[in-house]
Amino acid sequence: MTGALRTALTGLGVAGAVAGLALLPMALSNYGISLLISILSYWVLTTAWTMFSGPTRYVSLATSAFFGVGAYLVAWLVKGMPLQAIFALAAVAGLALALLVGLSTLRVSGMYFVIFTFGLSELIRELATWWEINQTKTLGRYVFVDFSGTLLYEHLLALAVLAVAVGWAVQRSRLGLALRVIGDDEDVARQVGINVAAVKVAVFALSAVFMTVTGAVMAPRYSYINPNIVFNPVVSFQVVIMALLGGVHRQWGPILGVVPVILLSEFLSLRFPYYYTILLGLTFLAIVYFVPQGLAGLLERAWAMWRVRTAGAAGSRVTP
Amino acid sequence: MTPLLRVQGVSKAFGGLVAVRDVSFTLAAGEVLGLIGPNGSGKTTLLNLVAGALAADDGTIRLVEEDVSRLPNHRRVRRRINRTFQLVRMLPSLTVRENVLAGALFGADPEPRRRAGARVDALLAELGLAAQAHALPEQITYIDQKRVELARALATGPRVLLLDEWLSGLNDSELVQGMALVRGLAGRNLGIVLVEHVMTAVRALCGRVLVMNVGECIAEGPPDAVLRDPEVVRAYLGSARA
Repeated sequence: MTGALRTALTGLGVAGAVAGLALLPMALSNYGISLLISILSYWVLTTAWTMFSGPTRYVSLATSAFFGVGAYLVAWLVKGMPLQAIFALAAVAGLALALLVGLSTLRVSGMYFVIFTFGLSELIRELATWWEINQTKTLGRYVFVDFSGTLLYEHLLALAVLAVAVGWAVQRSRLGLALRVIGDDEDVARQVGINVAAVKVAVFALSAVFMTVTGAVMAPRYSYINPNIVFNPVVSFQVVIMALLGGVHRQWGPILGVVPVILLSEFLSLRFPYYYTILLGLTFLAIVYFVPQGLAGLLERAWAMWRVRTAGAAGSRVTP
Repeated sequence: MTPLLRVQGVSKAFGGLVAVRDVSFTLAAGEVLGLIGPNGSGKTTLLNLVAGALAADDGTIRLVEEDVSRLPNHRRVRRRINRTFQLVRMLPSLTVRENVLAGALFGADPEPRRRAGARVDALLAELGLAAQAHALPEQITYIDQKRVELARALATGPRVLLLDEWLSGLNDSELVQGMALVRGLAGRNLGIVLVEHVMTAVRALCGRVLVMNVGECIAEGPPDAVLRDPEVVRAYLGSARA
């Protein structure tokens, strides 16, 4: 197969898949749509997380901070502004917050970065709570807006396609190589002329924009919003687990992690409402222990072994 | 004539320990300057100061006319100062070719990928690494890793090259090759600072050496004369009157 043909076929396949996904809600019940919305929202979050944390190996727990800021902007502004305008504003807010966080965490790495991002998310949640109680005298806000499940689904699908495309483009670009060099050794990165700080902050901000907009798009889903709902740290943890399960080195890795975790959470929370988090935790331990390269790595290895085996079988047929 | 590199009165202290105290030297284009001294005398710290991995507390570093003392590491690379590390630093998840490509893409002559790729392939061939281009660093020998590191530094297009014990650990025939390579680089008008314990190499390659002891420069001159200097002998062998 020639390269051009392969590219054309891949393009066609992707276009077909997106079209299929876009039409999917027509065939589904409300429950099905709401499950798909969960999957898509986490797909965007995990893809965005992987953009930065995959190659650099900086494990960020700030996802819930960005997600929450997006959702809160909608809750705060929805009475006076069209929803789409708030989405755009969320992108700007996410960018600004990420630049602030990025610049203040430049000198921290490893465990300190993980803790810093976690602490920051909690700080933002506490600040939002304090502000709402003391300044605006409300702890919850209602998001009443005409934004159907199907419409929300379509927005998320567009966002997911965009996130995967951007992630793919970054991975293949000079920026992508710079990120991998940084992930391997920051001293060497500087020594080949990479502006380590600028690259890290830029990609962190890019990924944060997707997270913030996802939060904004998801806001109408909640109808009632308070800081504990939208700044829920579980979002940050789940994204890390999904990314690790799927595999962070392939663009199709995140979705491999998102679908089983969402389905598993659904199943466990219905079946064992009291022990669900414990069971989920145990499952995650097992995943990290048994599938360290993620499902993407596992599938690639299996595929390589299958090809070797079939090639060997073909070879044995021709040799007498 | 303005020297390629002029280091004037640089100092660096870590807490109470003065690692480098008031060191000055110049380096001409095409020159190989030896930098010797006992372990812990401050040679690597001095290289780190010139490369920009550390900021000097005091003193100036000029590349031709430009003061680069305040520039961060990566910007000095783009001003054509580069180095190899004393202990080889590979990018373990990148192939040999990608290791070198990183230098070509982000160094002083950033080019589109295809042109950079051609330059990288030429460098790999020159250093005898063509066959290993797609290997991972863990799959090649230590000596080849040293070659990759040199290729990566050269890919950034340096005019000043700081080699931190790049020749140590080579066997005799590799040493001969390595020395020819360093001489070849100087022949292309690079200025080279050679931190080295292998004295055969220092004598053969360097017209001038700088001797450091406890952070200070204690002697400077042609290798044979400097190595006879009683103070240098004392620094190396202790005060037991060698």
